[in-house]
Amino acid sequence: MALIVLITSDPPEIDRVEQLGAKIKCPVCQGESILDSPAQMAQDMMDVVEERVATGVSDEVIIDELLSSYSGALLLDPPAQGSTLFLWLAPLVALGAGVGVILFWRRHPAGEPSTEDSGVSTINRRVVGSLILGLAFIGIVVTAVVLIRDDRGPREGVANIDEQDLSQVSNETLEAVIAANLDNAQINGMRLALAERYYEAGDYRSAFPHYLAVAEAPNSSGDEAVAALVRLGFMAWTGNGEVDAALGLLDEALAIDGSSPGALFLKGEVLWCGLEDFDGAALVFGQLLNVPDLEDDSRRTVESSLTSVTNGENCT
Amino acid sequence: MTGRWLRWAGLSVVALTVVFAVVLASRFGSDPALVDSPLIGKPAPAFDLATLDGVSSISLAELEGKTVVVNFFASWCLECRAEHDALVATSQAFAGKDVQFVQIAYQESPDDSLQYLSGAGISEFTFYLADPGSRTAISYGVFGIPETFFIDAEGKVVGKTIGETDALTLGATLDAIERGERPGQAVTGNTQQAPER
Repeated sequence: MALIVLITSDPPEIDRVEQLGAKIKCPVCQGESILDSPAQMAQDMMDVVEERVATGVSDEVIIDELLSSYSGALLLDPPAQGSTLFLWLAPLVALGAGVGVILFWRRHPAGEPSTEDSGVSTINRRVVGSLILGLAFIGIVVTAVVLIRDDRGPREGVANIDEQDLSQVSNETLEAVIAANLDNAQINGMRLALAERYYEAGDYRSAFPHYLAVAEAPNSSGDEAVAALVRLGFMAWTGNGEVDAALGLLDEALAIDGSSPGALFLKGEVLWCGLEDFDGAALVFGQLLNVPDLEDDSRRTVESSLTSVTNGENCT
Repeated sequence: MTGRWLRWAGLSVVALTVVFAVVLASRFGSDPALVDSPLIGKPAPAFDLATLDGVSSISLAELEGKTVVVNFFASWCLECRAEHDALVATSQAFAGKDVQFVQIAYQESPDDSLQYLSGAGISEFTFYLADPGSRTAISYGVFGIPETFFIDAEGKVVGKTIGETDALTLGATLDAIERGERPGQAVTGNTQQAPER
């Protein structure tokens, strides 16, 4: 008989593997152990457990290793510690409270005259009743808070897009966002902002492709296209000395918005300083002064330039 | 008088027990993937995995000194497909910095992953690795994919996103790590389990 048992029983290692597998929750399942689940992940985890058992590692070490990656959520029976301690103790507390209520009721049934002084007895009973009520209330509230807090999980992480401060975002991040959203019409604004960063840093080489993309994008708004064309015109003129190319880009901008202060001012500057076309520059500066919402500082600058051009002064 | 107090106490316990039961019941079906990863702030689990084409292997140890982005993906994962362009774009944008992207295929054959990537496009700045037996996925505590881990230059896990992410989240997280911050964990979208076999 002993021989039959010895032959038919599993080796102790297999028993250990299955016992451990029954304790560990399949992380991709709902309430199933890795022993019972047919999921590939569960079987892979069983293989890990089997390998570790074969190396002679203790059950505690194997479980600790898995918990170090998955946390206590991986155990079907969570350990009686931390926030789960209350869950383990709650049934005992509830049972004790229930037994207490029953015993108290049996000793002091409602309506039975007490041998004690009736006033004191009533106060004692009120105190006991209030204590039971208070303890039950506190217990339930604490449990609910613990469970709700756990259930909320880590949703309050830092990497929340809506909370990102774009001034803290690097050029690399903006490049990545733009590259991943080329079909999105909203991306032109971000592209223009990135181009401005490069432009202001004097990095025309990096700014150029973004301005060009905004200028050529069929879904750019008029303001975006004009802003990009004015910058391209400025870079063509000051960066490469290409006066004709600059004027061509500025005319493209003015075809979109004939009263663009930026395009008009730059065109006047290019005509005056680049071609020494005083009449042409005076005409453009005059057009600019007719723009109704021109800011006062800009107006004074244009008036000064127009005066210089009219007097035939060279550009400085 | 005493009977009335006890009746109130009993009724209150019953009512509160109902509340307790409702709270418990509301947790059924909650996503187990939303627990905080115990890896945050800890040394990242080591790995030494073959590339999908089997030509070479990459270990975490040899990436020491770089910020490493470890993403678990699969061709059968719709959320992974949705975030693929963002991963490619971010890896390319950060190529000039000490940032290394690593994408580890999760529960599928290297051939299937390669076939998917040949259509979706790859980044020349990313290592695409196989994970036979899900050993690395298990060591990183992966519940479902996509999951993305951020490891700082000292080899510690400092961030994790669960679900589909995007270039802004990836880049902003890398920016935060560069500033010496620990971004922590965030749920950025849904995850997916391997299809039934």
